[in-house]
This record gives sequence, C-alpha cells and structure tokens, in this order.
Amino acid sequence: MIYFDNSATTRVFDEAAATAVSFMKEGFFNPAAAYAPSVSIEREVNLARGRLASYFKADPSELIFTSGGTESNNIALSGTLASRRDKCRVITTAVEHPSVFEPVNALKSSGYDVVTVGVDSLGRVDQKELEAALSENTGFVSIMHVNNEVGAINDISSLYSLVKSRAPGAVFHSDGVQAFLKMPAVRCDMYSFSGHKLHAPKGVGGLFVKKGVRFAGGQMGGGQENNLRSGTTNVPAIMALDSAANVYMRRHDEFMASMREVKLRLYNNLTRIKDVLLNGPSPDDGACYILNMSLLGVRGEVLLNSLSEKGLLVSTGSACAARHRGKNRILNAMGITGPRQEGAIRFSFSPENTVLQADTAAQMIEDSLNILRRFRRR
Amino acid sequence: MERVILVRYTEIHLKGLNRPFFEQKLIENIRHALKGIGCRVEREQGRIYIVGIPEADFDEAIERLKTVFGIHSISPAYAVDKDWQTVCDTAFALMQKQVALKPDLSFKVFARRSDKHYFMNSDGINRELGHLVLERFPSVRVDIHKPEVSLCVEIREKAYIYAEEIPCAKGMPVGSSGRATLLISGGIDSPVAGYFMAKRGIVLSAVHFWSFPYTSERARDKVIELTRLLSRYAGRIRLHLVPFTDIQMTIHEKCPSKETTVIMRRLMMKIAQRIAESEGAKALITGEALGQVASQTLESLCTTDDAVTMPVLRPLIGFDKDDIMDWARRIGTYETSILPFEDCCTVFVPKHPVTKPEVADIRASEALFDFTELIDKAIEQTVVQTVKFEDPKLI
Repeated sequence: MIYFDNSATTRVFDEAAATAVSFMKEGFFNPAAAYAPSVSIEREVNLARGRLASYFKADPSELIFTSGGTESNNIALSGTLASRRDKCRVITTAVEHPSVFEPVNALKSSGYDVVTVGVDSLGRVDQKELEAALSENTGFVSIMHVNNEVGAINDISSLYSLVKSRAPGAVFHSDGVQAFLKMPAVRCDMYSFSGHKLHAPKGVGGLFVKKGVRFAGGQMGGGQENNLRSGTTNVPAIMALDSAANVYMRRHDEFMASMREVKLRLYNNLTRIKDVLLNGPSPDDGACYILNMSLLGVRGEVLLNSLSEKGLLVSTGSACAARHRGKNRILNAMGITGPRQEGAIRFSFSPENTVLQADTAAQMIEDSLNILRRFRRR
Repeated sequence: MERVILVRYTEIHLKGLNRPFFEQKLIENIRHALKGIGCRVEREQGRIYIVGIPEADFDEAIERLKTVFGIHSISPAYAVDKDWQTVCDTAFALMQKQVALKPDLSFKVFARRSDKHYFMNSDGINRELGHLVLERFPSVRVDIHKPEVSLCVEIREKAYIYAEEIPCAKGMPVGSSGRATLLISGGIDSPVAGYFMAKRGIVLSAVHFWSFPYTSERARDKVIELTRLLSRYAGRIRLHLVPFTDIQMTIHEKCPSKETTVIMRRLMMKIAQRIAESEGAKALITGEALGQVASQTLESLCTTDDAVTMPVLRPLIGFDKDDIMDWARRIGTYETSILPFEDCCTVFVPKHPVTKPEVADIRASEALFDFTELIDKAIEQTVVQTVKFEDPKLI
C-alpha cells in the first residue's frame, strides 16, 4: 500500500504509540489528583508543554491542550468573542478549513459583521482585499498558515503586522494544523495545531494563546489547563504528541528534504502524462508535502476508487468534506472550476514515503488513466 | 390486570379455504418481529393476541407490530377477569385517561360477547356500562354514530377492554405471495418499490449492479444499508451484488451512444432474471415510474420488458416523484437514499439518450456484440449476502 493522504491523517510513530501505551498502563493517574504518582504525571505533562511551547518560543503557560484542530479553531473564535462585548467585525478567508469557516459564518445570524476575504489563483490570501476589509471595529481575524488542499503558504508574520497596523484591537489567529513543526514558527496571537497530522494519535492538539491576549477559554468544568479548557487531561495522547513532536523537531531538515524529494518526483512523473495540470503554487513555492493536480478527463472520485483498488490511497480534497458532494469551495475560490475541478486529486506526503513510491504511484495513475479516459461521457 | 395487544388483520378473511395458511404466515411474521421481547402470540377466533409482554417493552412491541404487513390495526387492551365490577372499574380507568385529555368528549360503548354464557348480552353491556360511565363522568356525552372514543369491551375467556385503535401497515403477510427479485440501485425509488411488493406478501430478494471504480465502496455499503432498512418490513433479504463495470465499458465501446442506457437496462434485466430463476423467484421488481427519465418512457419500458420473459412488477409506475419521496420518508429509507455517493455512473449516461427506442433497433444494436460471456462472468462473480434488520448499520 502507498499512502499519499497524510494531510488527512498519519500513521502514529512507533515511539509515540509506545509512549501512549506506557501512560495508559503505568502512568495512568489523573494529574489533578493529590497523591505523589499524580504529581509526577503532572510534572511530565508540564515538561511536554514546555517542549512544545519552545516551537513558538513561548512560555509553557501560553499553550493549551485540546482535543485537536477543530476544537482549537472553534474556541479561538468563541473564546475571543466571549471576552468582548461588541458585535465586532470578524474576518476570515474563503479557503479556511470548515472548523474555521463554518463557525465564523454562523456568526452572521447573531449580528456579527462577517467578511470573507478571497484568495489569488494559487490559493494565497488576497492582501489588497484583506487590507480593505480591516477596520477599526475588527475584533478577530483568522487566516490559515498552510492550505490543506493545495499547500499554499500564507506569510502569516507579515499579515500579522498588516492586521496590527490597521486594526490594533483585533486578535489574529492562524490555523496551523497543516504547518505546525513543518514550517518555521510565525508571529500571531493564536495558533491552532493537531497531533494526528504529525504522527501522534487522533484526539489531541493545542492552541497557542499569546500572553496578554484576551481569551475567555473553551469548555468549562474542573478548571484544567489554567481554567481555560476543562476536562480530564488526556495524558497518553499529550505525551504521545510530545514524543512525535520530538522526533519531528530532531529530524526536521531530513524529513522536509525527504518529502520535498518525493513530491518533486511525483510532480515530474505526472507532468509527463497528457492533460495534467497543477493546482496551487509551483512545487518549489508551496508546502513540500502537499501536491494538488488535475488529471483531466476522469472525475477525481472515479480515479480515487480505481487507485485505491491498486493500493494507492489519495484524496479528492479535504477528508472532512469527502462525504459532501458538490463544488469544492477551495478550488472555486481559486477560480478552478469545471472539469479541472472535477479531476483534482490531492497527494500529501510524510517522511515515511519514498521516491520509489512516487514512481510506482505515477505508474499506477498512468495505468488507471489509460483505461478510464477511454470512457469519457459522450 | 394485564396489558395485552389485540391484533386485527386485513384481507385474510377474503381468502376462503386458504385462510389458515395466511393466518399461520402472519403469526410467524409477528413472532419474528417480536423476537427478543419475551411475549406470546396467541390466535383465537379471528383475532391474534400478544400476551405476557414485559411492561418495559410494551411500546417497542407496538412499534414493531406497525411494520408487519397483514395487520390492519392493533389495540393496547387490558385483559381482566369477567367479573362485572372489574370490567366496570377497568373501563372507568380507561375513560379517566381520555377525559383528562378532553373533558367533553363523545363516546360510545361497543361490546362483543363471544362467551354466550356471560350473564349479560352485548346490548345489555352497551347500555349498562354506558349508563355507568355517564354517571361517573358527567362532562362526557354519548354519540352512537361518530364517537370520539369507542370504549370496546370483548367478553371471551377473559374480558378485553380498550379504547384506542392504532392503524398499521395493512397489506398481506410477507411469504403469502411467493418470491420476486428487486433491482435496487441506491436511489430513492427502488426501496419504496420493494416495500410495496412486500406489502402484497412477496418475499424479496435483491440485485444490485456495482460499477467499481465508478461507484465507490461507500455506494455499495449504502445499498446494503437500504436493503437492511427494507428488511424491517420485508424480513431477511438475499442481496446479490453483481460486478457490472466490464459490461458497461463494453456497451460504451460497442454500442451507439444514445442507446447505451436502454441496452444497459436490458442487460441488467437479463442478469436479474437469471438470478431470480436460480432462487425460485417468479417476477422482477423495479422502481420505475412512467416518464420519470428517458429510460422510463413507455417505449423504453417495452424495450426493457422485451429482454426478459418474467413479468416485471413496477408498483410505482403511476406515482409522482414527490409521492415516492413521501413514502421513502415514511418507511425510513429517504435519508440513506440521498447520501451523496454515486449510485449510477454518470460517465456512462449519454448526453442525449434515445427516449422512444424501437425494440427492433435496440435488439440490433445489442447484437453488435455477444454479451453472453460477460453476463456469465458477472453472474459467476456475484457476491451474495443475507441482510436482516438486526444487522449493524454500516453508514
């Protein structure tokens, strides 16, 4: 099997899985309890928090553990708005993940002034449009770091400066689920990340909240996470996230080089096939682990089924949208429509992929296309 | 005082000497539907009684009986001693509930006495109990013709007293009309068609044509789930999953493009008939409605019928799409039917399909290629599974 759908989720690293098991079987204590074994577990969690915070060059207290990207994105928005009294302006982009896009749009009905900023043909936020949208009463801006479908990278640090110069009262949030640990850290007020995109288990992630940013927190209860996100601390998952992150940080350059090599190899292989178009930034500019290409003449879903039978697993877009047929919102915003949109396939890589896999995959794709393209609608 | 359910059945009384057979089928089906609920099904003088129902399962038993074809209506009843005072007290308790909902309701007493040794006849019970109810609840009134509440008293080996009649699915017991094979696509219509034929007593088997990679694994699971939902009414269903991609590709390559859909339907019918024959089914069932799409015009239906010798039952033929959708909602298949997985590969649908095919023309086009081998291969590779309502939900 060749797994090229690592933006959907990843296989858990052996180290991370072993860590999780040890904190399920031996270090299972509730870190909030009073006895000695619990105290040592709490200490472990805080050390992990510190190591992860070091990516942001942040203080450990600025990092909140959550259940993953969706929760982080949701509470970044709700926790910010809950700390304000006014119905401020909320700005986001047309290509955000549903966990930002949906809650932001739901605000419209409760009287918030929601502005959705477009993107260029490569999937990057339109700076001019953003500039025009920024106003005195802007309270929250959310712009994703790396786009999950085409790998477009936004220059978050400079967008942050722009937002702060035009709307000093706004909180600037970035969804970093597809970027965390892979891309260099950026300047922002809030940053979401998720464990399972980096070979940690599902169900764990975090939200960075810069000191001084007004934030009312997420779910309420026993006061865990500095009273900002209640719920019994998910120690096995947090420690596994820490373990996977350590592998990633230690071998970062090697991992990135390896994924870049696989991506470029697949890209070069595919461009040799007739009627194949790249969606998003050029392979050198975009994230080195996401490649989106349209293989014209076959619907992406059909090609995907055919490839999965051969043992190559890819996607036609975000897995979170795989059950919703209809137009692809992200490609629409980039101006990619019609047969080109229907034929779009996303390949996403992990350090476990190899160049040999890229060659085999390209051959499988070519074989499938040779058969499927004979049966165009007529 | 025991709560029982009294079951009335529909057309079985029409069936003359076959009546015991129909009744026996119905009882079997009721027993099957109530499996897991510790109760007994008893037959007596043209009635079926469900007795010994644990109180916690009473509502569940009612819900399940509503799905059994052949039942006209059911009434939750109190079964008590025939002692007159007990009969009256039970009747008062039932009326008390009704009066609480509507103080000025109209009612009548409707008594039946099959125990001819009882000290009062039906008419006597009607008048005496009616009088006592009026005394007890001064706010109610009697209406013999259109009562809001019929207080029914049946004197048998026990007294059965009830005031509520719940309409059920009606139809004929599944298994009383033989076997037929449903072509199920994954859309809205075919499960409804299967429902209506099962309602007339047919035991269903089902055939689905599967076009991987044009339709996905999820699309196949969706059809299995639709079959499962249908088996709630129809009992267990043998589902045949026929790999159809090779045939579709060949049609696409060898036959005139505007006729591909009609030819495809003919070949589906041929395969379905072979499968039907192999399991003793006497007819095919489709969800077609006249004029709904190009392949469902009268001419197209003639052309598909021409491919097979079995009768093709089309219970939805005169339905509007809206009505079919309403029925799909009622029987609980709609939400699954509209899940957005491809159920028929649009890639193979011609842009301008023929709407008035001539049988002779289509026969000629179909003869451009000898499909016998491909049909044999598809049947050989067909996967069969038995689907029942108790199976886990797949999607």
